[in-house]
Amino acid sequence: MTNDPNFTGPKTEQLVFDAAEAQRKRHPSKVGRVIDHLKREWQLYAMLLPTIIWLLVFLYKPMYGLQIAFKDYSIFRGVAGSAWIGLEHFENLFNNDQFLRALKNTIIMSAYGLLFGFPVPIFLALMFNEVLNQTFKKSAQTIVYLPHFISSVIIAGIVITSFSPSAGIVNTMLGWFGIDAIYFLTKPEWFRPIFIGTGIWQEAGFQSIVYLAAIAGVSPTLYESAVVDGASRWQMMWKITIPSIMATIIIMLIIRIGNILEISFEMIILLYQPATYETADVVNTFIYRQGLQGGQYDFAAAAGLFNAVVAFILVMTANTISKRYSRTSLW
Amino acid sequence: MSGVSLQRLVKAYGAVQVVHGIDLEVQEKEFVVLVGPSGCGKSTTLRMIAGLEEISDGDLTIDGRLVNRVAPKDRDVAMVFQNYALYPHLDVAENIAFGLRIRKESKDVIASSVQEVGEILGLTPYLERRPADLSGGQRQRVAMGRAIVRRPKVFLFDEPLSNLDAKLRTQMRAEIKRLHKRLGVTSIYVTHDQVEAMTLADRIVVMHDGRIEQVGTPMELFLNPVNTFVAGFLGSPPMNMVKARIGSGDTGPVAEFDGNKLPLAQLPSLQNAVGKDVILGIRPEFVTVSRTKDDGAIPVDVDLIETLGSEALIHGSLQKEPFVIRTETVGQMDVLDGISGFKIKPDLIRVFDAETGSALPDQVTVQ
Repeated sequence: MTNDPNFTGPKTEQLVFDAAEAQRKRHPSKVGRVIDHLKREWQLYAMLLPTIIWLLVFLYKPMYGLQIAFKDYSIFRGVAGSAWIGLEHFENLFNNDQFLRALKNTIIMSAYGLLFGFPVPIFLALMFNEVLNQTFKKSAQTIVYLPHFISSVIIAGIVITSFSPSAGIVNTMLGWFGIDAIYFLTKPEWFRPIFIGTGIWQEAGFQSIVYLAAIAGVSPTLYESAVVDGASRWQMMWKITIPSIMATIIIMLIIRIGNILEISFEMIILLYQPATYETADVVNTFIYRQGLQGGQYDFAAAAGLFNAVVAFILVMTANTISKRYSRTSLW
Repeated sequence: MSGVSLQRLVKAYGAVQVVHGIDLEVQEKEFVVLVGPSGCGKSTTLRMIAGLEEISDGDLTIDGRLVNRVAPKDRDVAMVFQNYALYPHLDVAENIAFGLRIRKESKDVIASSVQEVGEILGLTPYLERRPADLSGGQRQRVAMGRAIVRRPKVFLFDEPLSNLDAKLRTQMRAEIKRLHKRLGVTSIYVTHDQVEAMTLADRIVVMHDGRIEQVGTPMELFLNPVNTFVAGFLGSPPMNMVKARIGSGDTGPVAEFDGNKLPLAQLPSLQNAVGKDVILGIRPEFVTVSRTKDDGAIPVDVDLIETLGSEALIHGSLQKEPFVIRTETVGQMDVLDGISGFKIKPDLIRVFDAETGSALPDQVTVQ
């Protein structure tokens, strides 16, 4: 720094170090930036933590157990100690008539659910949007939301009672027209309509909230502009409301397709019986019977894994198609 | 004759009246601007004309036909909204064609109309784009395209430029003016921006608290405001207001304040009002600056000079109230710093009754 023997200032090395420190503070490294960010936003990450822990414990950790789908699993040898058997369980799965029947039923009921159940909440939301009398609107909304908050067991009880051949309201009404009592819940051909109808009755109202929220977000001036242009309420619904909530409809459809194989199996368990297995047994009830009741955990895990892979492929496909044709996608 | 006539038009929400029986005649092909502060009832009045608000009382006629109970679509009006009201899921061509499709026009008519409007507004290259892919100015043009494609009898504009930045607003203002000249359609335009009102209007309607304060050409309102509200609302910077009392001078009436005597016009109304408290309305543009105090100039405590290029705003105070002078800078830069007061021709002073705020009668109409 200087040749002056009396110089008492900082040494050259110290100055170089200080300059580097100042440089580091001005332009921190990537890690430094992350640390700074975490220090600054730690409250947000603290709020995120419970969800991350929940995901890790209940969704990621169980993935470790998925390997039993490829093993001859024994609860005594444990997951790690059981022998690998490759795709044997999957071969058995596809040679199992009960599984194939359950798969067929799952697809049929999902398709019906999608076909009849998916449009109903949209239709309800559109109808609520058109109701001008606020008292009637609120009462109607409360009535259709209510079944969502009732336990599935009670819903199943109501359904069983309603379709009872002796005292059920449905058979009583059929009796008024001279029609003999029908044992609805023991006849395979009636199981699907009853199950789909129950699902719609229980969930459609609550699901309509998403669409009502989307409709509330549509700018009122779009309607005013259309009114001046001469559009009727029907035209406004078709040309403004539905296109405006299309992004929400597509997102909900993708999510629904992702869950297509996740039939509400507790409701099936509550409603079905061996007499209706032919049309009522789905993959999840099959897994439940094989895995939990039959103790074939590895075989049930293979069925569950198959279910998950199909769901993954479906949601990816739906998302890709939607992204390509409608500019709307989950990711 | 596609004029619009408002007779004793009233709008009330329950017991609250927001438009208090206004009367207005808009002539065919005229461009009338409703201007006023927020909440003055100008947008409500426009919406009543459009049919988007029910008329509580009074009569509205369009093209000589009473339309109080006529649906908006049958009034033959088109409206341009503040936020453009473009359908995000439709492209520009479909947005412009929307009204025609609703009216079930043939495909050929729709296609040719859209093409024509696209050319008029310079939108042809953007016809296949969606609103999200357009700039603010382009969206505004599409909104206007939607209105003009139907060839309505009346255009209604509800603050259409307020979402644009200052530069684009100036540009679009000129485009609206050109469009009106080209199409010659009766237009009613709502804004709170007095510059828009001054530059666009054939006639301006100044509204305040649900009432019309004054109707006239921009220059009539600028030069001869009927009350202190109009005087203060139009003009930028606004008219200076000076409290004074009318006295009698050697050559005629004078305004006396703070020991100053400012000669006023030789008018009977002023000569007969000696001793009356008044408010002098002095436009910043109408005064000449003065550097000396002994030549009859009114002293002003100058505290800031803003130079805007060709002109300067001299901010000061008179009677402890802000007083602004607008003056040219060319050839005067060296004298700006020494300004200590102003002079004004008596004819250019507007005199208002201090009690009512109304202009005193028979004042000279400044041309």
